[in-house]
Amino acid sequence: MPLLLVLHWKHGAGSPLPITPVNATCATRHPCPSNVMSQIRNQLAQLNSSANALFILYYTAQGEPFPNNLDKLCAPNVTDFPPFHANGTEKVKLVELYRIIAYLGAALGNITHDQKLLNPNALSLHSKLSVTADVMRGLLSNVHCRLCNKYHVAHVDVTYGPDTSDKDVFQKKKLGCQLLGKYKQVIGVVTQAF
Amino acid sequence: MIWKYTSKMMLKVWLVQVLVVFLITECIGELVDTCGVISPESPVIQSGSNFTAFCVLKEKCMSVYEVNASHIIWKVNRVLIPEEQYTVINATTSSVTFTNTGLLNVQLICNILAYGQIEMNVYGVRIQTGFPPEKPKNLNCVVKEGKKMLCQWDPGRETHLETNYTLKSEWATEKFDDCKAKPDTPTSCLVDYSPVYFVNIEVWVEAQNALGKVSSDHINFDPVDKVKPNPPRNLSVSNSEELSSILKLTWINPSIMNVMRLKYDIHYKTKDASTWSQIPPEDTATTRTSFTVQDLKPFTEYVFRIRCMKADGKGFWSDWSRDASGITYEARPSKAPSFWYKILSHTQDSRSAQLIWKALPPSEANGKILDYEVTLTRWKSCSQNYTVSDTNFTVNLTNDRYIATLAARNLVDKSDTSILTIPACDFQATHPVTDLKAYPKDNVLWVEWTPPNKAVRKYILEWCVLSDKSPCVPDWQQESGTIHRTYLRGKLMESKCYLITVTPVYGDGPGSPESTKAYLKQAPPSKGPTVRTKKVGKNEAVLEWDQLPVDVQNGFIRNYTIFYRTIIGNETAVNVDSSHTEYTLSSLTSDTLYMVRMTAYTDEGGKDGPEFTFTTPKFAQGEIEAIVVPVCLAFLLTTLLGVLFCFNKRDLIKKHIWPNVPDPSKSHIAQWSPHTPPRHNFNSKDQIYSDGNFTDVSVVEIEANDKKTFPEDLKSLDLFKKEKVSTEGHSSGIGGSSCMSSSRPSISSGDENESAQNTSSTVQYSTVVHSGYRHQVPSVQVFSRSESTQPLLDSEERPEDLQLVDNVDSGDGLLPQQQYFKQNCSQPKSSPDISHFESSKQVSSSNEEDFLRLKQQQISDPVSQSYGAEQMKMFQGVSTTDAFGFETETQAEKLETLGMEAALDEGMPKSYLPQTVRRGGYMPQ
Repeated sequence: MPLLLVLHWKHGAGSPLPITPVNATCATRHPCPSNVMSQIRNQLAQLNSSANALFILYYTAQGEPFPNNLDKLCAPNVTDFPPFHANGTEKVKLVELYRIIAYLGAALGNITHDQKLLNPNALSLHSKLSVTADVMRGLLSNVHCRLCNKYHVAHVDVTYGPDTSDKDVFQKKKLGCQLLGKYKQVIGVVTQAF
Repeated sequence: MIWKYTSKMMLKVWLVQVLVVFLITECIGELVDTCGVISPESPVIQSGSNFTAFCVLKEKCMSVYEVNASHIIWKVNRVLIPEEQYTVINATTSSVTFTNTGLLNVQLICNILAYGQIEMNVYGVRIQTGFPPEKPKNLNCVVKEGKKMLCQWDPGRETHLETNYTLKSEWATEKFDDCKAKPDTPTSCLVDYSPVYFVNIEVWVEAQNALGKVSSDHINFDPVDKVKPNPPRNLSVSNSEELSSILKLTWINPSIMNVMRLKYDIHYKTKDASTWSQIPPEDTATTRTSFTVQDLKPFTEYVFRIRCMKADGKGFWSDWSRDASGITYEARPSKAPSFWYKILSHTQDSRSAQLIWKALPPSEANGKILDYEVTLTRWKSCSQNYTVSDTNFTVNLTNDRYIATLAARNLVDKSDTSILTIPACDFQATHPVTDLKAYPKDNVLWVEWTPPNKAVRKYILEWCVLSDKSPCVPDWQQESGTIHRTYLRGKLMESKCYLITVTPVYGDGPGSPESTKAYLKQAPPSKGPTVRTKKVGKNEAVLEWDQLPVDVQNGFIRNYTIFYRTIIGNETAVNVDSSHTEYTLSSLTSDTLYMVRMTAYTDEGGKDGPEFTFTTPKFAQGEIEAIVVPVCLAFLLTTLLGVLFCFNKRDLIKKHIWPNVPDPSKSHIAQWSPHTPPRHNFNSKDQIYSDGNFTDVSVVEIEANDKKTFPEDLKSLDLFKKEKVSTEGHSSGIGGSSCMSSSRPSISSGDENESAQNTSSTVQYSTVVHSGYRHQVPSVQVFSRSESTQPLLDSEERPEDLQLVDNVDSGDGLLPQQQYFKQNCSQPKSSPDISHFESSKQVSSSNEEDFLRLKQQQISDPVSQSYGAEQMKMFQGVSTTDAFGFETETQAEKLETLGMEAALDEGMPKSYLPQTVRRGGYMPQ
């Protein structure tokens, strides 16, 4: 029984997934490709190459005061962000990567949802957010497949960011900007680690 | 109250509505209630398989129509199915079986024969046949950058059924939504989701229809390996002033570059070229945004295009970018211009020369030629420099030798120098090229020659179109002195005759030119030769024609073919060498119309000329002369012989045709016979009429030829003659005997009567026989009657003689005799008997001589004449021929009679005295 339910995150997801037994059987629809780790690296590089542009695009789209107050408004101060240990084993790094991508994926879903409401004309931002989310979705699939096929990890506990549905517009923008700032920071580290 | 009433009314309406709906439903149920059903209801069967359908009747229907399963009949598209395919399962069920069904889409109907004979439809179904789907093959997907993934496959055999193709895809951890192919494009499907790179996806196709379901092989791939990138954009080209052989390309990569590394394919060509050259792939195997192309020609415009794909070669090439062009920078002209000259005019002390040169082609000019530098150096003198922007320069020269140089200059530098020696006037050109020939090959005209034994600096090739209508305007080109074969680089036309001249140029001046003719491409002549006849004979004709003008030849005339035929005959062809302008057709038929035409042939075909007709004469030239001249000569010779014969036999002819008539005026009666009675007795008519006897006339007729034949007859003839003379004496003398002859005209012919009248105006003659008897001189002149009607020419010609005679006659009493003669001759019925006699005399000339002789005898013998006249009376009305025949016999009888008479007279004393007129004698009327 597949346990990585986070693959199907959606808007509003903010609570931790239920924890399943560790010794549960791990299975995938078909075997992972032999170059899955290369694919993970490429995906990380893809995300890393576009993270800064996404960040710039985001705060630019939010308008003032964001572009001129990045330090204050977009500082990567994200609470409960999953940790990452670059010097860990591949398995550990993959597990931590899984948690990070799951966290970021859920957060990007919320940001994308909010931006379509707050900046409906920022199509480029919407597109880039969607592409980034898609890439993360693929990355998560590859990490899952790698953990499952090679390390037989059938369950990883993940956490999500705070629910922003009840926040005001500025707060939504600010949290989004902070998250993308954090994302830009973390993805660089993770990319370097793989 | 009102509310209650309203509620009751509404309830009633509702109940009515419900009742109506119930009844309608029941009625429809009854109406659609069938008498039976077919199972299966929607059969779909595989083509080639067996199929059985069952028709089950309902009990109610069976009882109503009194039928059972045996009354079921099956039809397909209203065509009755043979009963052999029926099977009655039980009382209610009948089946029909189809074996090895083909491709069908038919309507199967179950019918019953109600009451045993009324056909009623029970149920109908539509049978569909087809094939189950084949396994899709060649599944492949492509991810166009910025678009969704498109997968394509080969569906295999046509199923003839509605078949659904579904593209299924999944990651290792999740499954995507199915992509259902549209019915009009069952071979591809565009997925709904955006592709995610670097995640393997497994894709397969499921094909399903009523007869089955089948899946293709699964393919597992990373979408990044199926990418077709967008082409690089904003391609631009820039040159370098430092290097005239390079161009730098720059472009903007597609955004996919952020995902994967790219390699490139760069093509380039010169502007006017049709084929592209490729930059070596190894030079463009990495991601880049610019590239410098080397080894290009200076001042040449190049066109570039570029495309890209994933660097590892997986995926697809992008489309080509837009073309971009750039021009390399200028360089020094690589060659000296071709240089030549023409002497325009020449006087005793100077000459006008035009220096001409060819503009350098772009590949050699390496830039825009700004001008040309011309240097002219007279022999052992200082040089003069000229700057010319045109490609020719006219200058006056002395008769000395000159050295001219030429260099082309562009923005960078000037070219090497062309040197040309213009020899002095007295220079004698020598050493021409040999074996010059020109031939077309590969759509250009090649010229080949054998170099002379002298070192050649260069060759000048000149050519022009030969035409009868326009002058030869030569074009020219220069070739290196080391070659001996080249092609003409001018714009040549097909079917035109080019006169090509090759002039070797030596250090001291040009050599002797050599020329030849050639065609770039030959064609059949535009016009055929016009043939005509130069001479036409009875059996041959000499044809001639003019050589075709060069403008219509369109090629080298290799040969002519002459076609000639008669109207009904087959056409005959004769090939004639092209050097000929006339030909002799032999073995022709005389007096025949011939049609002849002529075809001139080049290497590419022939062209007929106009048809020419001529007629051979019936006779050859001189043939008529050959016939006519001999005939004329023969005729002339015959005539001449005839004349000679006549001349030689003139006496005889004259005797028969024109006997000599003695001229009475020259008569000398005194000389005839001294014993002759006085003339007045002879001529005195009155005296004759008075006593009717001649007593002083003796007649002796002696024929030399007859003296042996008729010695005895002569005696009797003499005797007769004596009697005749005496008779004539009694009658009219000469005139009387003439009247007998003049009565020749027939009594039955008016014309002859007229002739007789004419004849009556002529003078009858008597013949005086000179010959004496046995060479004895007759003692007296003998008169014999003449049949001649010839006029007395002597008298007419010599009227004085006639007058003299008349005078004499008148003096001697002859005039009355003539008058009497005329009177007798004017009478139409003077002597009809004798006219018959005369007619018979004219019938046959063969017996004429004998007859004449006999007649003379008759005439000379009044007795025999009287016999003849008497016998002729018996033959009046007999035809001329018969009369002649009889006359001949009569002559014989007459001779016999004469003989008898002679015999009878033998006993009588022979005397020359005139005898009395006996029976049958002539009696004047």
